[in-house]
Amino acid sequence: MFLDTIANNLTDWGPRLLAGLRLTLMLTVAGFSAAFVLGLAVEYFRSRPYGPVRFIAKLYITIARGVPILVILYLLYFALPGAGIILPSFVAGATGLALVYAAYLAEVFRAGLGAIPPGHREAAVASGLTPIQTFRLILLPQAIKHTISPLLVNLVSLLKDSSICALIAVPELTLASRELMAESFLPLHVFALTAALYFALAWPASVLARYVEERLHAPGERLPAAAANFTSNSARSGVSQA
Amino acid sequence: MGETFPALLSQALLAGALVTVKVAAGSLAIAIALGLALAAILVLTRNRFAHGLIRLYVEALRNVPSLTFLFLLYFGLAAVGVKLSSTVAAIAGLGLIGGAVCVDIFRSGFRSVPDGQCEAAASVGLSPVTAFRLIVLPQGLRLALPSIGNYAISLLKDTSLVAAIAAPEVMFNARQLVNETFQTALIYGCAAVVYLVLTTAVAQSVLLVERRLELR
Repeated sequence: MFLDTIANNLTDWGPRLLAGLRLTLMLTVAGFSAAFVLGLAVEYFRSRPYGPVRFIAKLYITIARGVPILVILYLLYFALPGAGIILPSFVAGATGLALVYAAYLAEVFRAGLGAIPPGHREAAVASGLTPIQTFRLILLPQAIKHTISPLLVNLVSLLKDSSICALIAVPELTLASRELMAESFLPLHVFALTAALYFALAWPASVLARYVEERLHAPGERLPAAAANFTSNSARSGVSQA
Repeated sequence: MGETFPALLSQALLAGALVTVKVAAGSLAIAIALGLALAAILVLTRNRFAHGLIRLYVEALRNVPSLTFLFLLYFGLAAVGVKLSSTVAAIAGLGLIGGAVCVDIFRSGFRSVPDGQCEAAASVGLSPVTAFRLIVLPQGLRLALPSIGNYAISLLKDTSLVAAIAAPEVMFNARQLVNETFQTALIYGCAAVVYLVLTTAVAQSVLLVERRLELR
């Protein structure tokens, strides 16, 4: 009965939900790529030994992780026009997600870099590589191994958080389903279908993240709780688990 | 409406902050209770059916956006005759999602207690339940604390989503005031500060508790 109703409406709902899904994916890809680059930059500046750059990078991480995404989206979409900067809703949404996730990813990169023995960096500096070369050629390739799983977890988080862009009128999956609900008066069916679509995207990535995480640790090795939880929780945390 | 703008602003944000804290505290309580109970079942039993059900619950709620789940709960249940007030729907929704997060946190906390301790407990004659209660639980809780703190902070931020189902918390009140006064940047900026203060307070108190526990 429940599934029948969904099946009967699928010709009407399907294309509209898929159009929303397309925008959800675009938000996720755009937001995550930008966050990746920005996160690397933030972590690079944060790891400088001293100076105002380091302070600003740390302040940035604190603010971006201490304020809800919704607030940042509202500021970008509703408040920036007051300063003469008018962003289309998609751009505001992707920018907001990127700004917030840059801080999370900076923390992921920090943990990944922290797992590399300091001798590697010292050796690189001693053999005459510049700090940027050291980072690019020595540290980054090693850090990637330790960061794949937390990156995937953050990707899933970002995919889920892209639903918040519905509240600044980006016509992505959640907004599409809200509009369908208003027309069809079948909220339970519409939102169940929407949830299933998100699940179909997010679950495989979550499983992959767990698989990678397990493969990287030798069998039988017991992690302290904080480390074992790192991928699942610090992804969206406000305190660092140093 | 003879009130000045600063008075209106602080009134709206403080009233909102109260609801935010209420929703966060309520759903945190549900999430911890649910997570602890289910994690204990996972650790203590080998019933495949129970394990499967709990896994299903965790995977389902952790891979669906909070906003979609809140809509499902608030609008979906209303359509089948279960009308929840927006605050109740918010607490129940965030609590159920949090339960799924907390199951994983507590379970890995419990599993970090070395097997040898349970074996030792069994060899001195403690039943599995007693061993869990006296040996695994106290240590596991301590190990889980930092992650629970992180979760509490992300929960505090996620309460902003319940503005979308019209619960009168910080963002909802801020939005209303913006619609009346058009002081967009100022109001949302102040809302950001309110959240920053709340999340910092939680982060600092978790750090304080952690330090206390390490001293003992």
